[in-house]
Amino acid sequence: MGLFTKAAETVPCTVEVSHRFESLHAHVRFNNGAVVHPGDEVLVHGAPVTAGYGELVVEDRVATITRASLLERLWTKLTGDLEAMELCEFSFSEEAMP
Amino acid sequence: MNARADVRAGVNETTAKATETTLLDPRFYTTDFDALDRIDVTPVRAEWDRLIAEMRSDPNRNHFRKTEAWDATDWESMDPQLRRELVDFMVSSLTAEFSGCVLYKEMKRRGSNPDICELFNYMARDEARHAGFINDALREAGIAVNLGFLTKAKKYTYFRPKFIYYATYLSEKIGYARYITIYRHLEKHPERIIHPIFKWFEQWCNDEFRHGEAFALLMRTDPRLTQSLSSRLWIRFFLVAVFSVMYVRDHARPAFHEALGIEIGAYDHEVFRKTGEIARQVFPVEIDIDNPRWQAGLERLRRAMLAMDRARRRGGIAGFLGRMAAGARSAAAFAGLYLIPVRRSVPPTNPRLVPSY
Repeated sequence: MGLFTKAAETVPCTVEVSHRFESLHAHVRFNNGAVVHPGDEVLVHGAPVTAGYGELVVEDRVATITRASLLERLWTKLTGDLEAMELCEFSFSEEAMP
Repeated sequence: MNARADVRAGVNETTAKATETTLLDPRFYTTDFDALDRIDVTPVRAEWDRLIAEMRSDPNRNHFRKTEAWDATDWESMDPQLRRELVDFMVSSLTAEFSGCVLYKEMKRRGSNPDICELFNYMARDEARHAGFINDALREAGIAVNLGFLTKAKKYTYFRPKFIYYATYLSEKIGYARYITIYRHLEKHPERIIHPIFKWFEQWCNDEFRHGEAFALLMRTDPRLTQSLSSRLWIRFFLVAVFSVMYVRDHARPAFHEALGIEIGAYDHEVFRKTGEIARQVFPVEIDIDNPRWQAGLERLRRAMLAMDRARRRGGIAGFLGRMAAGARSAAAFAGLYLIPVRRSVPPTNPRLVPSY
């Protein structure tokens, strides 16, 4: 990982999308134990995972993790805190109702 | 917690009925997972074990089922503005639950501390269950969620663990206070129950309450998280931010609150009061919501946010200048709220509370 350079790696992953009454969730798990760090970007390849109502879809896919440069990682760590408000339900970033 | 949701109109081919699709777009976070693993719950072990045992027993496992109490909602003949605001209320609740689930699941997966992993596992379970229940209610209204966000590029942002504690603790406790206040109001005014989902709120919000309890105990494992000067200043920031954003957001749903027979200002004040009382269990500072500057400052902030919205819609150079001016006004209003002297309190030796409102 360089100060300015980004690196990409391709990792196998498992996506799980539950579109069921008892649970609505969607998760990605990297099968090789890869770990995502601040500022990294993750892209799961392929068509959107579509789960119809009542379905649980578990698929093996491939994902690209684009690693943030050292500088970007530092920057994300420094500025991420300022976005902590997004953890709250009521966010300034939402548009007002028309 | 927050995720953006775009509502798009479309036509469902199979039923030829107009449907809208809400694209869920949760944020993804990382944090200092090593710090999470280092948490030692020994100082609160007895209370911790009791709480985890309660979550393990899953008191609400049979609650989220549609019974005969779930009566039909006449979406078709509902006033369009009320319909829009009711849907907006449900979509924002759904995205909050869904984002909570994503965050908690990630923390569970990345952690290696068995106490912490077990807690986050139960919290993710509850949030996914809540999201599924709201999703079903939205489907009845002809609104489908699109979970296609997974195949879009996602950037991971970073929060310090203690900010996650403050924000999620408050989010869970204020969620409890909001739900129980609506529920108690509708108990007295059953003719105002505009949708059956409100009948589920009483037991539902006990999940929120329990999650808040867990974060309260987590914060008690290390006195620096709440007692140091910088922690107190941050706690104050989060209290003001969460309360004031709720005030602005609620006022953007006038028809919804009117249909429920709820006066927004009084309702918000009551939610702040309950949340403030509960938060004494762990926070050494409390917002003085009875100070006249509090209400005046909230209104200043709300007007500034409305001006911001108008400027955004106007666009162009005038819009840009308007946004700058509104931004300065809202920052000044926020600073005014922040600088109202806080009430100090000493959290009790045993922080545990039971829902009692």
